[in-house]
Amino acid sequence: MYRRTGFRHMGNLSIKLLGKDIKNPVMNASGTLGYGKEITRLWNIETLGVYVTKGLSIKPHHGNPPPRVWEEKQGMINSIGLQNVGIECFFSEYFPFFKKKKTPVIVNFFGFTEEEYVACARMIEPHPLIIALEMNLSCPNIKKGGISFGKEAGGVYDIVRKVKAVTEIPVIAKLTPEVKDIVEIARAAYEGGADGFTLINTMPVLALDREKRLPVFRGGFSGPALKPIALKAVYSVYKEVPVPIIGAGGIIDYKDAIDFFTAGATAIQVGTATFIDPYSIPKIIQGIKDHMKEYRISTIEDITGCAHE
Amino acid sequence: MDDVQGIVVENSRVVTGYYLITIRLVKSFGKVLPGQFVMLRIPRNTVFLRRPFSIYNYKTRLLSIMYKVVGIGTEALSTLHRDEKVYVLGPLGRGFKKSARRKAILIAGGIGIAGLHLLAKELRQRAVIYFGCESKKEVALLYDLREEMNIYVSTMDGTYGYKGTVVDLLKNRLETIPYNKMEIYACGPEPMLKALKNIIGDIRISCQILVEERMACGLGLCFGCVKKTMDEKEPYKRLCTEGPVFDIWEISL
Repeated sequence: MYRRTGFRHMGNLSIKLLGKDIKNPVMNASGTLGYGKEITRLWNIETLGVYVTKGLSIKPHHGNPPPRVWEEKQGMINSIGLQNVGIECFFSEYFPFFKKKKTPVIVNFFGFTEEEYVACARMIEPHPLIIALEMNLSCPNIKKGGISFGKEAGGVYDIVRKVKAVTEIPVIAKLTPEVKDIVEIARAAYEGGADGFTLINTMPVLALDREKRLPVFRGGFSGPALKPIALKAVYSVYKEVPVPIIGAGGIIDYKDAIDFFTAGATAIQVGTATFIDPYSIPKIIQGIKDHMKEYRISTIEDITGCAHE
Repeated sequence: MDDVQGIVVENSRVVTGYYLITIRLVKSFGKVLPGQFVMLRIPRNTVFLRRPFSIYNYKTRLLSIMYKVVGIGTEALSTLHRDEKVYVLGPLGRGFKKSARRKAILIAGGIGIAGLHLLAKELRQRAVIYFGCESKKEVALLYDLREEMNIYVSTMDGTYGYKGTVVDLLKNRLETIPYNKMEIYACGPEPMLKALKNIIGDIRISCQILVEERMACGLGLCFGCVKKTMDEKEPYKRLCTEGPVFDIWEISL
């Protein structure tokens, strides 16, 4: 049951994340809100607690040939292949917009080698609006030399430690659900110095052509069917690792968001829901606030992890 | 541009496999350009993502879409009945750039006519249509354009008009066309656009094409609906924001 507090100040959405005050616990998932400006035709970017960038790399990356998206029941598969303009271009062309709007940013980044991850982290200068770097240790659409980062505890420990050594910005590890034991991976990242987690990335899946009886599409699955998988990851890691968790995976409405808070998430990310209803993020923020008022919850912190009690 | 609720006024079959749906929007879209599209939320639980459709017609909050049943989404769409509620995000994308002086040739392959209809209605006598399809029955897709416009038709089986592809039909008549004073607008399957690019390769006539791709958000958020371009620096462009209308020389076909 929720811990009930006094009557006043119900529905305060602000949270403390990695030492920073954030006005609400709702972010976009990386790669589901373009470079930020695109959505402002419908709502203000300041609506977000934090904007999470599209996955950035040291150099621009072209991504995969089309088709890049595929529909499944209760979700979608994507194989964008991390198309992005590169860190340098992001900071010259797009970051000034967030500065102007005073919107906090989490910079998601990736590399094809350990050295590239380190080089990325080095390139990103600290700024009061940059809350954290989110290391993509889990993209199912990128593999080079047979290495898939994020699936093996020793490798995760090494790469997080190396990234931490070159940056003053807090580092969040975004993990893949496609592992034997996500707690073991999270523990390795924590020991390597991770300041937080985003749980989880998309799930690597496959679609078949029924006529040809052959694979027709491979990529990362997202959407409501992913939610219970993500929820379990958050629930399991919360008990074992003492750093903040950002919950992501299949969040469609405020009810899903509340589940993630009670499982142990400090904040949440919304991705695929935006494609179905582009107003999902503002609706979820309002829904959380209304729910908090109804159940007399004063802050998100009051319910974070309460499913463990 | 906004996500607007609409009510189905009519959803009728044009000819087997092809439908025309008309939706009354509760709020105006504002200005709609020929070539723009909408992302339609189909209220059936077999359909997860929205679907992109060219705007076939738009006038005072009445939006029409002509579509061919090709998969789960369009099949579900064909079951919508009068008074059902839908959500329509639009108008989206860049439309056709119209030249004030030049005459226009509109080339449509099959359901590609749906993407050119609004343009045809605006250009009227300044345009001729080249329409290609499989067989006589699809000629019905020309609908109201048949009475108003100058149209050349080709069918693959020769049951109506010229026998062969629409590009072959155009090729035979290309010499009669003063192409420095003309502009081509085309929408149809990729082989048609490829063939078109081949036959106009030498004359470099101005040509805009309306293309399609599997799409998720329609807003430029997900980078899912890209087309391969001829530009090595930017080999993939988003169809939903940089398109869906492109210069034929810009796209790798």
